[in-house]
Amino acid sequence: MATALRSIARSLRKNNIQPLCNSRSFLHSHATSFGFKEVREEEKSQMVGNVFTSVSSSYDLMNDVMSGGLHRLWKDRLVSKLNPFPGMKHLDVAGGTGDVAFRILENINSVKNRAMLDVHDDNLLEETKIYICDINPNMLNVGKKRAEERGFGDNKSLIWLEGDAEALKFEDDSMDGYTIAFGIRNVTHIEKALAEAYRVLKRGGRFLCLELSHVELPVFKELYDYYSFSVIPALGELVAGDRESYQYLVESIRRFPSQEKFASMIAGARFQKVEYENLVGGVVSIHSGVKF
Amino acid sequence: MYRLAAKRLLPALGRRNSHFLSSSSGVRALADFINPPRFTTSAASETVSSQNPLNNDSFASSSSTVRSEEERSRAHDETQRSRSPTRPKAHWQEEQARVLHASLRHVIRLGWTDAAMIAGARDVGMSPAIVGSFPRKEAALVEFFMDDCLQRLIEVIDTKEDLQNLIPSHRVAKLVRIRLEMQAPYISKWPQALSIQAQPLNIPTSFKQRAMLVDEIWHAADEEAADIDWYVKRTVLGGIYSTTELYMLTDTSPDFQDTWAFLDGRVRDAFDLKKTVQEVKYLAEAVGAGIGGSLPGFMKKVFNG
Repeated sequence: MATALRSIARSLRKNNIQPLCNSRSFLHSHATSFGFKEVREEEKSQMVGNVFTSVSSSYDLMNDVMSGGLHRLWKDRLVSKLNPFPGMKHLDVAGGTGDVAFRILENINSVKNRAMLDVHDDNLLEETKIYICDINPNMLNVGKKRAEERGFGDNKSLIWLEGDAEALKFEDDSMDGYTIAFGIRNVTHIEKALAEAYRVLKRGGRFLCLELSHVELPVFKELYDYYSFSVIPALGELVAGDRESYQYLVESIRRFPSQEKFASMIAGARFQKVEYENLVGGVVSIHSGVKF
Repeated sequence: MYRLAAKRLLPALGRRNSHFLSSSSGVRALADFINPPRFTTSAASETVSSQNPLNNDSFASSSSTVRSEEERSRAHDETQRSRSPTRPKAHWQEEQARVLHASLRHVIRLGWTDAAMIAGARDVGMSPAIVGSFPRKEAALVEFFMDDCLQRLIEVIDTKEDLQNLIPSHRVAKLVRIRLEMQAPYISKWPQALSIQAQPLNIPTSFKQRAMLVDEIWHAADEEAADIDWYVKRTVLGGIYSTTELYMLTDTSPDFQDTWAFLDGRVRDAFDLKKTVQEVKYLAEAVGAGIGGSLPGFMKKVFNG
């Protein structure tokens, strides 16, 4: 969930840096949402930047505390749906801390997958490339550090890149897979990010998105709302020493399009076989689509 | 591929329905997968069932329902096509079918596995990532093969004239043999396919595919026979088919000679059984008639006397 925060920080920081983005935002409106509040874009980026700075130190801890460790299972689920294979070219957007990328790499290197390799596919493992793209260099540094801790320090399959989800620096039809975990919500123009995902994917390539979503189950919804609006900010105060940031986080989740709406947005980006799967009754959902 | 299968199956249903009974829900399911929804939703536990297009108990229905459903679905199909002309030509189901078809070539080497599907995807110029989009991956491959074989069998039934000259028992044996010969190239990997089909998640589909296959064979074997119970016939043939399939796995004789001898024996047994049942029935009728005739006579005698 904190990933969400920092990707907001990222996308907005980018807005400040790039005059192009600024001019675009002028065309539309200066006002944007900061949680439930309407604020000016420049202010928002400043605010989100602050949010991110204040929570970054306890980022991993807060992820575990807020989701009760469930975010690990959600990411595992995402990767198992992706079904990585040796020789894959994968792009993980907003994956600065490498959580998803490490899982993909471990999955590819697992015994099961090694066993099914062809004899003449020996160098396939080396051909595997996982690009981790994040708009925020700080997050990439966190990821690189964690890669070293995990023994992936000199792994040639992991490639860390600074980049914007709305303007990827990859060629058309170059990727087998595209994942974005807890990131798309914070991209300023979701349609643009989807169009970019479609562009860089090969035919048959898959788009997968893990995102905090909407709970509709009657009783569970009340519990979840209570948890979101009362417990999470309190936790944030307790653990990260920052109540406002987590108040903002839960509000921003509510502003993200519903599962159906987001699915139709993905279909609108010309993806086919668009599906979504709700986990924990819709607290998070995994959307997927295939490019043909 | 399912679209193709459905096209084949719908007329098959139509011509068959004169003597089969069932509900129309199966047909609706068929129509549904001719026009698959743009996107499907699934809760964590139901990912599988929601995308399984073969969930149709489509044996038949009253003739009017089938025809009208068929027409409606076709009309619907057309309107959909005209409504969205921008829709990409390469429909994902057809693309998936292409991948699966290419994967079959690798089955002998790699088995019914992800690896074969990945190799198949590479062959048709698709990213192997597409394999992840198949629900129950290897099962998709086996099920595709089963469907493909069924289609080929239907083609054989429709085109082969000499089948009509055989007596029903020979025709059944011949058709089972033709069908089993289709999986002969994969015989070394077929146990794996059977084990995939026997996994709890895959059982419903594999059971239905077998039911459809047996149904198709019976239909081709005897058009008008409605003598023994419909279910009994299919169960018996299902048994014959499956035992022969298993026999074939361990058969080392050239061209599976032993298997075909075994098959002929089982089919003969079944038809003998059928004859026996028939005879028992006649006997019962005769006895019944005898008793029916003698009882009133006896009563008359008693009362008169």
